[in-house]
Amino acid sequence: MTDRLVTTAVAPAPEQRRASTLVQTLLRSEWPWMLYLAFVVLLVVFSFASPWFLSIDNFLNIGRQTTLVSIAAIGMTFVIIAGQIDLSVASTLALSGMAAALAMSHLANFWFVGALAGLGTGALVGLINGTLTTRLAIPSFLVTLGTLSAARGLAMMVTDTKPVIITNERYFRIFGEGNLFGLPAPIAWTLAATIGGVLLLHYNIFGRRIYAAGGNPTAALYSGIQIKRVTTWAFVLTGALAGLAALILSARSHAARPDVVQGMELDVIASVILGGCSLFGGRGFILGTLLGSLIIGTLNNGLVLLGVSSPMQLIIKGAIIVAAVAFTKR
Amino acid sequence: MKISPPVRFALASSVAVGALAFLSSAALAAALASCVKSVDLATLGPTSIVGQGPHGEKAASVDEVKLSDADAEKVKAGHFKVGISMQTVNLDWSQLQVQGITDTLKKYGVSVTGVASAEYQVDKQIADIENTIQQHPDGIISIPVDFTATAPTYKKVSQAGIKLVFMDSIPTGLEHPKEYASMVSADSQGNGQIAAQILASCVDKGGTIGLVNFGVDYFSTNERTKGVREWMQKNRPDIKMKQVDFTDPAKVSQIAGDFLTANPDIKGVFAVWDQPALDTLSSMRAQNIDIPVTTVDLGLQSAIEIAKGAPLKATGSQRPYDQGAAEAMAMMNALIGKETPAWVGVQSLPVVQSNVLESFKTVFKKDPPAELTDACNGAKPACN
Repeated sequence: MTDRLVTTAVAPAPEQRRASTLVQTLLRSEWPWMLYLAFVVLLVVFSFASPWFLSIDNFLNIGRQTTLVSIAAIGMTFVIIAGQIDLSVASTLALSGMAAALAMSHLANFWFVGALAGLGTGALVGLINGTLTTRLAIPSFLVTLGTLSAARGLAMMVTDTKPVIITNERYFRIFGEGNLFGLPAPIAWTLAATIGGVLLLHYNIFGRRIYAAGGNPTAALYSGIQIKRVTTWAFVLTGALAGLAALILSARSHAARPDVVQGMELDVIASVILGGCSLFGGRGFILGTLLGSLIIGTLNNGLVLLGVSSPMQLIIKGAIIVAAVAFTKR
Repeated sequence: MKISPPVRFALASSVAVGALAFLSSAALAAALASCVKSVDLATLGPTSIVGQGPHGEKAASVDEVKLSDADAEKVKAGHFKVGISMQTVNLDWSQLQVQGITDTLKKYGVSVTGVASAEYQVDKQIADIENTIQQHPDGIISIPVDFTATAPTYKKVSQAGIKLVFMDSIPTGLEHPKEYASMVSADSQGNGQIAAQILASCVDKGGTIGLVNFGVDYFSTNERTKGVREWMQKNRPDIKMKQVDFTDPAKVSQIAGDFLTANPDIKGVFAVWDQPALDTLSSMRAQNIDIPVTTVDLGLQSAIEIAKGAPLKATGSQRPYDQGAAEAMAMMNALIGKETPAWVGVQSLPVVQSNVLESFKTVFKKDPPAELTDACNGAKPACN
């Protein structure tokens, strides 16, 4: 209140006014500029604090480490913009990985058999999530809370909780350890998912329908948009992308395990929200999501490089995420 | 075609760099291949139990709970019943424990009333134990899910006149022999020593090793890391040790990868159990780091990695079936009123490339699956 009185009492000089208008425009803009700034600050701080941070190898580390969250978060961006949520991504990832490994060990040991099984299983879980949410009108929070549990249970049941060993070298190269277009495979897949996500969300009619479905469902309905169908596709896409993440994880660890990435859905949702997506739907960007995921990944990486103890890492990470969201939401 | 001098220079230097890289990687590979071989399997690992029990007890050996013929007759005549309460039945470890217990009890005519699985939940385990007490067994063998919250319920077991044998750990405040007959566990510190001894054989004088440690205060993982540290300080004081702690096992891959980036001087890694070791391996592969790794505990995937020969060199394995058999023996001693030792330690089993198939059989009491024999066949003759 006092601040406002002061600012109205003393008129700012024209240059100041221009500068503050620019800041206000940036703040008001749809794009999360403050987030870019936060990311740059983080990079500068860690570069000074650790001699190991500023190197291509370490940036490749961060890229590889954030792959799973980034890819799943790209799918989640669609779901959240459509005004829904998917809590089951981590369980879907675990189940898809098991499906991929089992298909290769029991059906045929070809990389594309594993890939199809993994992507297909993910998409199927997404289809179930989408259908139950839209056709039975159950809130997606509850539907996906159910599939979070059921998919994990199924992943554990198929092999009685045992891991499934993968022996296909080509599968390892394509999804985990090789190079695609001169980049480590996981990073290449993240870029592919990002480009696909940007094209689909920002340069395609499907994307505009997603925004409409989440932003103003009533108006969307009267405009002839089939909200149920669009929303279901958003879930299918998220499931399939969780399947892609599963291929990368299982190729990297030479096995699929049913207990992997428990709790990853929280990192995924945090990345999406940090990236400027509204939790209530209608607003969000793929590049923002990628940046959100990179910020969390950079924090994880930098804090370990600095030798910060693991409980302290959790506290710092939590505080920075809340602070970053608070700034970007102004 | 004439090649200009700068191009010739560039070609020559790239060939020289390539040759140097090849030679150094070949030298590294040779050093890594020979490192485990310099350790004699027969003398590897401690000859007796090195760790102490949770209350500082000295370990009793499995032999101390053997039954004489007369005792065996007494057990058979007693027609005893025993209940089992597990934290889960979904792990190889717990299935083998249960199998060891039931096979041994059956041999002496003791029946098992049932196996309850608490699914790691304290309230479920409390209910499981209370329900088991209602079945009026003569004894209960159990692994506590939690040290404090389950303690009052375990006290009810002894108050009901039922004998109690623990696996792996003892809830807080329970006293031996009043409130429990015995505790049986692996010699975690001894397992740590095995991992240390093999890792040390792969690290040059004055080298540095990294310990990927569980940052949660837990008896058996603390003992493993302690085993490594103490062995190094005593036998290889030249080796420097750096440590990184993880609290969430799902994050090991990232944490270990970053730890190795920040500490490029690390020439060998100890990971506190096999899954963190495998997660460390996956980061090492991504970062093109090839240094020896050792760990504790044996699973199928870690067995396959050891069979292949690099970089996972060895593990100090528990023997869950034998631990289960020892729990059954301790229980039967208690049932016929004999004194039972507070802690029975089951000796560690060193597993390296040359004994991995046999060790798999020893631990899992079954033939190795095709994936393991295939991996071993691909690495003959080093793998056996």
